[in-house]
Amino acid sequence: MENTVVKISSLVKRYGDLVALDHLDLEIKEGEIFGLLGPNGSGKTTTINCLLSLLTFDKGEIEIFGKEMTPSSYDIKKQIGVIMQNVAVFEELNVYENIDYFCGLYIRDKAERKRLVEEAIAFTGLEDFKKFSPKKLSGGLLRRLNIACGIAHKPKLIILDEPTVAVDPQSRNKILEGIQELNKNGATIIYTSHYMEEVEQICTRIAIMDKGKKIAEGTNDELKRMIKNTETINIEVLGLDEKITGEISALPHVYNSEYDGAKLTVYCSGGKHNLIRVLDVLQKNDIAFGRVYSELPTLNDVFLEITGKALRDKE
Amino acid sequence: MFWHNFRYFIKSGFKSGNLMFWMILFPIILGIFFKIAFSDIYNDLTSTEPIPAAIVENEENKVFRSVIDALNDSENKFLDAKFTDENTAMELLKNGEIDGIIYSGEKISLTVAENGIEETTLKEFIEQYNLREKIITDVITKDPGNAEKVISELSEEREIIEETPVTHGNTNNFDSYFYNLIAMSSLYGSYMGINISTKNQANLSALGARKNCSPVPKGISLTAALCGSFFIEFICSVICVTFIAFVLKIDFGNRLPLVYLAAILGGFTGVSFGFFIGSIGNMKENTKDGLSTGIIMTLCYLSGLMVGNMKAVVAEKAPWFNNINPAAVISDSIYCLNIYDDLDRFFTKIITMIITILIFSTLGIIMTRRKRYASL
Repeated sequence: MENTVVKISSLVKRYGDLVALDHLDLEIKEGEIFGLLGPNGSGKTTTINCLLSLLTFDKGEIEIFGKEMTPSSYDIKKQIGVIMQNVAVFEELNVYENIDYFCGLYIRDKAERKRLVEEAIAFTGLEDFKKFSPKKLSGGLLRRLNIACGIAHKPKLIILDEPTVAVDPQSRNKILEGIQELNKNGATIIYTSHYMEEVEQICTRIAIMDKGKKIAEGTNDELKRMIKNTETINIEVLGLDEKITGEISALPHVYNSEYDGAKLTVYCSGGKHNLIRVLDVLQKNDIAFGRVYSELPTLNDVFLEITGKALRDKE
Repeated sequence: MFWHNFRYFIKSGFKSGNLMFWMILFPIILGIFFKIAFSDIYNDLTSTEPIPAAIVENEENKVFRSVIDALNDSENKFLDAKFTDENTAMELLKNGEIDGIIYSGEKISLTVAENGIEETTLKEFIEQYNLREKIITDVITKDPGNAEKVISELSEEREIIEETPVTHGNTNNFDSYFYNLIAMSSLYGSYMGINISTKNQANLSALGARKNCSPVPKGISLTAALCGSFFIEFICSVICVTFIAFVLKIDFGNRLPLVYLAAILGGFTGVSFGFFIGSIGNMKENTKDGLSTGIIMTLCYLSGLMVGNMKAVVAEKAPWFNNINPAAVISDSIYCLNIYDDLDRFFTKIITMIITILIFSTLGIIMTRRKRYASL
């Protein structure tokens, strides 16, 4: 059975009258990439800060590697790597020095540290920028440096708090691939983000948060199975009458359909070959149609169905 | 772990352009400015060259003429006077060959072309002459019996105000600006002190948050940063004093090593003061830098950096304040070295600085060592 790396029990954190975390329970197993997904202000970063003993909390317990986490739990801290939301590096030091400094807080042996620093540089693709000051790095490279500083000491638990904010797509992909590689190398990952695509792409298990509460938890598929929708069919089509839309709505596994005069949207729950059945109806009625595409539910649909609101505004 | 933190704190400190500007370049630039600005004035004030002037006799004044003759014949004459007619005198004044025209007659008057040290000296001389002449004339007219006594007392006045040296040190008033400059540059160490708090507190910076997540106890991290700051400040103070003493050639007498000691401890005072300021509240680093700059400038102002006699004003109104104002304590310590032969007062200032360093550093550590925060 997999070991529990992080256990959060009934965690409550208040800022005055605002309840930032409301009896939060989480259990993260060894080897997972655990995603904490939620809109801004849902409590993801507060959870991480409590987990790292940076923040006081009103109630609850936090255990990491089976031991209570406190500010003086240096033996636990040795095994954790942290990549903060805001870039946390020395502006005066160059790339190599920054990584060496942070690695040196965990690793005393100089030779070993040198090897680890070089590995972290190679891992984040910063070989050509060793002597660069952080001011001269692009946003993406700066984020990579931020990651290198957090992972150079080869931690068993890596906590990444929105590491891809304000990063270009190319660097974002590089970062996500890197996180998966770290996981393959044995690290347990906690990944917070409000980008559902990222969480869907890399996380093996996900907790969705809203207003300080965990509103759903499971694997990507488990979460999607929690909701009614399993497939959304979109067809660009003109001149449909009520008879035809009624015929489509009556098809098996179709629980709703919308037509705005140019696009037909059909919502299905379960079943196979739903798209073929919808197209059959159109062909039988000699209706010409344009672009056809089918969408599987996203975590946004899960969030929408549970909370009644979209996970985030489109960016 | 201490050495790792210490080493990197020093490295980042010396690589910080902003810090190096305020702690090394700024005092040097200001020192050069002071030197240029004050050396001319000082040279003028201490000049031994007699002041050239023309005497135009509107009416015959035998007494005044004999005074001028006596002055012209004296060994250390301050006046180089020539008797001439008014047109020639005006021409000489216009050409800048003389600094003033003294009109001799029943009343002595002066005409100058511009304001300056020489012109002021001439004016003072004429006023003194007129005053004394009036006193003697009045006494002779109204109370001739006392004339001899009054004339004798006027002659003795010089002996009454004869200089009694308390030291053999340098009493150039303008040098006190350089002492204040050393005090100010020492207090700029406060920026580094603020930096210690900011970079070690999770609620003040992302860097502080990351360091708080590491397995290094905060006490070690803070102590290493504080020691690193003291080391940087030590180097900066040495550079600053060396520049002032050897490049700007400000005379510290034979007590230069003690000036270094005062400047270094002054720097440590600045660092610990900044560390204390940085530990108060959760304002942003820029806000704290601004606050620190404001406080330093106020302290320097009250210690006489901007207005020369301000320290005397404070000494009169609130004498206790000069004993706790770090800027005044630092500049005073150097001033003492140059004014007093014995070192008691200097060491009192040094002890004051050490106590200040200990108090600010301890308060800073107590306030910064909190390990968890209510909000970030």
